[in-house]
Amino acid sequence: MRRIYESDAIHRDDDEAHVPNERRRNTTLQAMRSVPSSTLSDLLVPRRLRHRFVTVDVQTPEQEYAVGEPIPFAVTIRNRMPFPVSIPTVSPLLWEWTVDGNVEASEVPLRDPPEEAGSFAFDRGERKEFRKRWDQLVRVSDSEWTPAAPGTHTIGAAINTADAERTGLSAETTVEIVR
Amino acid sequence: MAPLLEVKDLTVRFYTQEGVVTAVDGLSYRIESGEKFGVVGESGAGKSVTALSVLRLIDSPGQIESGEILFKGEDLLEMSESEIRSIRGNEIAMIFQDAQTALNPVYSVGGQIAEAIEHHLDYTPEEARDRTIQLLDRVGIPEAEARFSDYPHEFSGGMQQRAIIAMALSCDPDLIVADEPTTALDVTIEAQILDELRELADEFDTAIQLITHDLGVIAEVCDRVMVMYAGKPVEKASVEELYYDPKHPYTVGLMSSIPRVGDGRDRLQTIPGTMPDLVELPSGCSFHPRCPFAEEQCTRTEPALTDVETGREATLDTEHAAACIEYTEGLSQGLTYSVEVDGPADDAVSQYVEGDSRE
Ligand SMILES: Nc1ncnc2c1ncn2[C@@H]1O[C@H](COP(=O)(O)OP(=O)(O)OP(=O)(O)O)[C@@H](O)[C@H]1O
Ligand code: SF4
Ligand SMILES: [Mg+2]
Repeated sequence: MRRIYESDAIHRDDDEAHVPNERRRNTTLQAMRSVPSSTLSDLLVPRRLRHRFVTVDVQTPEQEYAVGEPIPFAVTIRNRMPFPVSIPTVSPLLWEWTVDGNVEASEVPLRDPPEEAGSFAFDRGERKEFRKRWDQLVRVSDSEWTPAAPGTHTIGAAINTADAERTGLSAETTVEIVR
Repeated sequence: MAPLLEVKDLTVRFYTQEGVVTAVDGLSYRIESGEKFGVVGESGAGKSVTALSVLRLIDSPGQIESGEILFKGEDLLEMSESEIRSIRGNEIAMIFQDAQTALNPVYSVGGQIAEAIEHHLDYTPEEARDRTIQLLDRVGIPEAEARFSDYPHEFSGGMQQRAIIAMALSCDPDLIVADEPTTALDVTIEAQILDELRELADEFDTAIQLITHDLGVIAEVCDRVMVMYAGKPVEKASVEELYYDPKHPYTVGLMSSIPRVGDGRDRLQTIPGTMPDLVELPSGCSFHPRCPFAEEQCTRTEPALTDVETGREATLDTEHAAACIEYTEGLSQGLTYSVEVDGPADDAVSQYVEGDSRE
């Protein structure tokens, strides 16, 4: 878990009283390493081709799950290229997982990301793996959940670009919920 | 007259690559002028993010996604950067969780406070210096005049924290947001500093939003309290009500973790488990994986914050509110715990009990 005071998500200013100071820890190195690399990829890699370099994959350990049994899954997003790549996203929301097309298995919208572009950055050859879990519940309103019906369900993941599906920046897998 | 501070439906999110962290979720509360309002909850509950939002100090990847923060009736979220700057320090001051965040190591302690006074109150340098020395003396820094030009590292932790209180009071704000102002200190110093903070706030007629993970601290200082869990308020009440008649199982758990003098038991163990990852909250009531009273419906329905008297959805005017299904549809087994009051009146301690097998 990240704590707010240990992060950059806080407005800092040494010259304004009553506002947190700039951090004096050695964070510059990290910043130096990542900033030029993404700039570089933005310059070198044509926008149209960039997506070919990144693959998305979704896997569950099993094919079948009993009713009510939580379903773990892993989303792996990999940059196949030996150079850094960054993918522009529609908003700061970089990627999403879905169940039967519903974001995080919810039939109601969960959030309202700001209308500003984001960027999903990968180091050379970087492989990011995210482990998630679907508890077999479908959120049907802001405050109600119901169990998913037995049968086949599709778990998907997509990078938040306008045309993730067409450009191969999404993936899906199916699982069977059995009685 | 408009209330001093009204936070309405505040939602703050962090867009990270692991997912979206909802650090504050639809939070509402009100602080009247001069009131001492406590915010309590375990680490990661969203207390600091709430506090920093009030001063508009959240930066990307954090986003205040919705809500209103009305200060004397005006929405801080609608203000320009220069308007908000003049509110900070002047009208709302903040005491940060660690002294290093607040004190600049390259300037003397007195100099920093004096500069803030000069800048915000239009004092001459001499006037600002005099007022600073007065304040340092008021918060209990010995030989304030001689220590005016000491650097932060020459102050002990307790003295740094006192200096920060002096800085917060320096421009006579209407509200001080104090984020765990004493956690880094030992218990005796903590008690002294809290006493001073409360006294000074009364004397200056300043409201305080005091953030802590320790209900004992709240009891020392506050009039009303909001208990937070996983970015949401789960109970709101006056301090007396909360102590003698806690309504939410999480509050009960927190109360049994107040260490008491002479009590050897490890009370911090009483709420098993940890707070969920805010990227992936449990369905229904977020507390259900840890709640000893959880039933199936707790995993299916998220309880709204409810007036415990009427069973209607709580508003900012509700005296005592809790977010547990017991106060809406009702749990089939109900809630059973005991509040045990022994010794001094502020020593109420409650415990979960299994049926009536206790004693
Ligand atoms: N920069 C960040 N990026 C992502 N998530 C963050 C960031 N800062 C804070 N968070 C999330 O916001 C949540 C609330 O953090 P916050 O610092 O407000 O907790 P807190 O209640 O003040 O805890 P503590 O008692 O430890 O100070 C945390 O659970 C954390 O997951
Ligand atoms: S709603 Fe259920 S899980 Fe939540 S606090 Fe009440 S009893 Fe516990
Ligand atoms: Mg905090």
